Amino acid sequence: MRRIYESDALHRDTDAPFSPNERDDDDVRPQAARSIPSAAITSAVLPGWVRHRSISVDVSVPATEFTAGSPVPFQVTMKNAMPFPVVIPTESAIQWTWNVDGHRDASHFPLHDPPAGDDAITFDRGERKRYRKRWDQMFRVSDDEWEQATVGEHTIGAGLNVVDSPGKGLYDEATFRVVPE
Amino acid sequence: MALLEVNDLTVKFYTGEGVVTAVDGLDYRIERGEKFGIVGESGAGKSVTALSLLRLIENPGQIERGEIIFKGQNLLEMTDEEVRRVRGNEMAMIFQDAQSALNPVYTVGDQIAEAIRHHMDLPDSEVRERTIQLLDSVGIPEPETRYSDYPHQFSGGMQQRVIIAMALSCDPDLIIADEPTTALDVTIEAKILDLLENLAEEFDTAIQLITHDLGVIAEVCDRVMVMYAGKPVEKATVEELYYDPKHPYTVGLMSAIPRVGERSHRLQTIPGTMPDLVELPSGCSFHPRCPYAEEACTRTQPPLLDPETGEPLTGSGVERGAACLEYSGELVRGLDFQVTVDDVLGDEADAIGDVDVATTEGELDD
Repeated sequence: MRRIYESDALHRDTDAPFSPNERDDDDVRPQAARSIPSAAITSAVLPGWVRHRSISVDVSVPATEFTAGSPVPFQVTMKNAMPFPVVIPTESAIQWTWNVDGHRDASHFPLHDPPAGDDAITFDRGERKRYRKRWDQMFRVSDDEWEQATVGEHTIGAGLNVVDSPGKGLYDEATFRVVPE
Repeated sequence: MALLEVNDLTVKFYTGEGVVTAVDGLDYRIERGEKFGIVGESGAGKSVTALSLLRLIENPGQIERGEIIFKGQNLLEMTDEEVRRVRGNEMAMIFQDAQSALNPVYTVGDQIAEAIRHHMDLPDSEVRERTIQLLDSVGIPEPETRYSDYPHQFSGGMQQRVIIAMALSCDPDLIIADEPTTALDVTIEAKILDLLENLAEEFDTAIQLITHDLGVIAEVCDRVMVMYAGKPVEKATVEELYYDPKHPYTVGLMSAIPRVGERSHRLQTIPGTMPDLVELPSGCSFHPRCPYAEEACTRTQPPLLDPETGEPLTGSGVERGAACLEYSGELVRGLDFQVTVDDVLGDEADAIGDVDVATTEGELDD
């Protein structure tokens, strides 16, 4: 294919201040750094346990007590401590999950039925992913019914969607109390 | 048998933020030659519904469950090749932004001809002739000359006409028009809607018209489905919807239509915005914005109910329905709105057929 620099459409002049310099055809150094698929390389090279140790998951709530009926905001932070990208295979297209008292998505039955097949969550070097959510103190008990959470202690947990995420250090929990109004 | 029957259609997008439930358990049907409207705010799931019908949902989206039965065949069970035979041929789509939908490096004639060449076994000369006829029928002047023009040489309205010509190229049984007039000014909008209506009548084509403009629905459609947060909240004929809306969201949409000659200085709006589809509110999704919401609305998500009997609607029938607990008798205070029709011109029946008249005559008092 004919290149623009072979077309003589561009005026080159080493001395003229507003023209590009003469091209030295002998100099064939790359003009920019080549990109490499570092995520693919690190996922091929790094053993699973190193990848798991690289990622930390933190769940936080802004207070230890919430009045009954008021929404509970929580923040899930995932951080890659390594200076290279890390890819963690997940069980489905759902990359991470959250639960209240062990009920995923605060529901007593599975809400989603993601298609079968492997997926993965990718963290760039040193990347921090932060998700803010709210739990409105309701548990879904059927397709169209919700139930108010009881007064007392509750735990919100979140982790990557991998087998045994707590055992791999890819899960965290935060506990708080719901108190009467 | 209905031309199109959609049963329990559920479409989800698996994103890093969470699972976006764009369409949740949608049921409806379109008969042959019928003009069916889908209305709702941005983010209600209208366009995703349209794309699902043509199986154009891309990763990370998934049609999680449901049936799309078109002329007796379930599109979700077809192979990609079978779907390609339906797409553009028996079911065609008019996309919302004509400038993006047209390829800038091909002439408009070639782009229309491509669909004809793909689906119909015609010699090149006939394909060209048919394309020129189509350009003529959608009101492009000097179609022979304009055949060889590129999209940038057309105005916005003309580009939209080209898209309509493309959709009509293979005489489809169903046209899905996804906000076909959103990017156009009102005069061109009226022309395009007229054109669409006339062509649909001429070719006996059914239309699924997606819009956020209730005026457009009144102008074109026979039946309407109002969507909110991926779910249908009301289904009715156009007359029923305008004169006797049953869902507070429909009432909100109607009261938000600006009317010529209105004395009030402020336009009525629905407070708040559509909820994040990753994190839908519990119970009825509309309850945080609903002026009539009660405790029960936060705990129960009502299905589409028959407003007269309170019985849930089953399947994709054409019965009237509204998804509000008022009709199952669970609201204590009830809905407190009324629709007043000022019969200024003396003929209510005409009012429905005309956008301007309908919007200036109907008055909603909360």
